Amino acid sequence: MSRLITNPMILKELRQRLRESRAWLLPTLYLLVLAGTVSFAYYAATDPDMGGSRGELQGAEIGEVIFLTVVFTQLVVLLLMAPVFSAGSLTIEKEQRTFAGLLTSLLTAPQIWWGKFVAALLYLLLLLFSALPLLTLALAFGGVEPRELLEAVASTVLVLASISTVGLWCSSMFRRSVHSTAAAYGFVLVLSILTAVVYAFLDAHWESNNIAMRGEGPPAHIQAPLFLNPFYPLLALFGSGGFGQSSYPASSWLLFTALGCLAAAFAMRRIQRSGDQL
Amino acid sequence: MIEVESLRKIFRGGRGLDGFSLHLESNELVGLVGPNGAGKTTLIKILSTLLPPGSGVARVAGRDVRSDPRGVRASVGYLPDVAGVYQDMRIREFLEFFADAFRLKEPNRSASIERALTRSGLADRPEDFVEHLSLGWKQRLLLAKTLLHDPQVLLLDEPATGLDPLARITLREQLKQLNNEGVAILISSHILSDLEDICTRIVFIAEGKNIAEAPTGAAEGSSTPTIRCETEWEGSASAMDPLLKGMPDIRILEKRDRLLIIELPGGSREASAFLEKLLAAGVVITHFDARGLNLEDRYRRAFGGQTR
Repeated sequence: MSRLITNPMILKELRQRLRESRAWLLPTLYLLVLAGTVSFAYYAATDPDMGGSRGELQGAEIGEVIFLTVVFTQLVVLLLMAPVFSAGSLTIEKEQRTFAGLLTSLLTAPQIWWGKFVAALLYLLLLLFSALPLLTLALAFGGVEPRELLEAVASTVLVLASISTVGLWCSSMFRRSVHSTAAAYGFVLVLSILTAVVYAFLDAHWESNNIAMRGEGPPAHIQAPLFLNPFYPLLALFGSGGFGQSSYPASSWLLFTALGCLAAAFAMRRIQRSGDQL
Repeated sequence: MIEVESLRKIFRGGRGLDGFSLHLESNELVGLVGPNGAGKTTLIKILSTLLPPGSGVARVAGRDVRSDPRGVRASVGYLPDVAGVYQDMRIREFLEFFADAFRLKEPNRSASIERALTRSGLADRPEDFVEHLSLGWKQRLLLAKTLLHDPQVLLLDEPATGLDPLARITLREQLKQLNNEGVAILISSHILSDLEDICTRIVFIAEGKNIAEAPTGAAEGSSTPTIRCETEWEGSASAMDPLLKGMPDIRILEKRDRLLIIELPGGSREASAFLEKLLAAGVVITHFDARGLNLEDRYRRAFGGQTR
C-alpha cells in the first residue's frame, strides 16, 4: 500500500504535466470561462431586459442561480478536459517509446496505472478547486447550504474520477493518443447523450401510461439509464431534473464507482500485456 | 545466465520463434544475427518479459520468465531498438526516476545515479534537460539508465542504430568493459563489423530457428573452420590447374586470368602449406592473402541472398 503513495510515477507525471505550458494556460482559460458564465447568469437573473425577474429578487435566488450555473458549467468543461488528460497518458509513453522502460522496470501494472490516474485526476481537481471562490459567492448570496456545496464537489469528483479511469482504459487499449482520446470522448458522449435519449423515450412511454402519477416523477427503473449519465447525480441532488421526489443520486454514485473499478481492472490487465504493442 | 530451450512464439502474422535454443554464460558477449523478421526482437522481448513465450523454456539468471517475471526484470537490463527518453526531464531526474522504479534504496540509490552520470559522461551537466542531448548522448544516457540496478544480463536490441561512428566506437568499448566486469550480454545488430569486434560468439537466426553458431574469429558453425586464400601469380594463367586438381577439398570462389580465390578447410597452417605447395611447383606468386572468413562472409553463406 505504501508503494501506492510513494509511487515514483506520481512525481514523474506531475513534474512533466506542470512543465507544460497548458499547466497555467488551462486554469486561466477555465476560470475565464466560469467567470464569464457566472456574470452572464447573474445579469440574466437580475436584468429584466435579459429575461430576468421583473419583481423584487431575493439574494437567495441569485445565490442559487450562481451555484447551479457554476456546478453545471464546471462539470461540462471538466468532462471535456478529462479525456484529454487521461486518454493520452499511456499512449504518449507508447508514442515516445518510453513504455518499454516502464514495463521492464520493477513498477507493477497497478503502480503505473495509479501514477497516471492520480496525476490526471489531480490536475482536474486543481481546476475544480480553483473555482471554489466562485462557488462560495453563492454562499455569500444565500440560498445554498455548505452541505450542498460539499455534495456537489464530491459528486463531481466521483464522476470525473470514473471518466478518468475510462480514459486510462482507452489509453491502455490503443497505440495512438488521437485514437484513445476519440474513444474516450465517444464514451463520454454515449454516457451523456445516449442515456438521456433512452431515458426520454422510457419516460414518455411511462407518462402516457401513468398520467395520474406525473407529479411524483418517474420510478427508479425508468430513471435507471440516467444513473450512468454524468449530469444525473447533480440533477438528482438539486431537484432540477424533473424527477419529482424520487431521485436516486446514491445509485448513480454506486454505478460510477463500479464503472471506475471495472475500467481500472481492465486497464491494469491491458498494461500487463502491453508488450505486443511496443 | 540465459537458458533458452525449444522456444516457440507464433504471432497471427506467422513470424516469431520456432524452437529456438540458446545458452549464454556469464562471461559471454553473444551477437544475434539474422535477416529482418528472423525473430531476434521477439527473443529479446521474451527474455525481458515484455512478451510471454508460447512454449519452451526461457530462463534468465536462473529465473523463469513466465513464473518469475519480476525476478527476471531485477536481473536484466533491456535496451530496445528505438528507446525513447523523457525529453522534458532533467538528466538527473530521469536517472532518479528509474532508480526509484527499480526500488534502489539509499545510499545505493545515490551511488548508482552518480555512477550512471559518470558512466554516461554526463556528470558535469546533470541539470540539463534530456531534450538538449544529441542522439549519441541520449543513447549513452539510456545505457547508463539500463545499468542503474546492476543487472547481471544485458539485452540490447540494435543499440547502435542511428549512432555516428564515434558514438559506435564508444558504445563498443562500453560493452567490452561491461563484459569484462562479468555482465552477460546478448546483442542483436545488423552492423556485423561491430559484432565481430566485440562478440565472443555469434548466433545466426532465421525464421525463428537456429541456423548456425560460431565463435568470432573462427569459421562458421562447424568443427572444421575454413580460410579464404587470394592468390595472384606471373606466367601462364593455367599454371595452377594441375595443382588444384590434386586438392579436392578446396572450394574455388573466383578464378579469372591470374587471380584465384579459394576456400581451404583449416586455418593459417593449412594456408601456409598451400602456399608452400605453390612455390614448390614453381609458380611465381606475386600476391598471397590468407584470411579466415569474416562475419560478413559467414552471414552471406548462412543467408545467401535472403532479405526481407
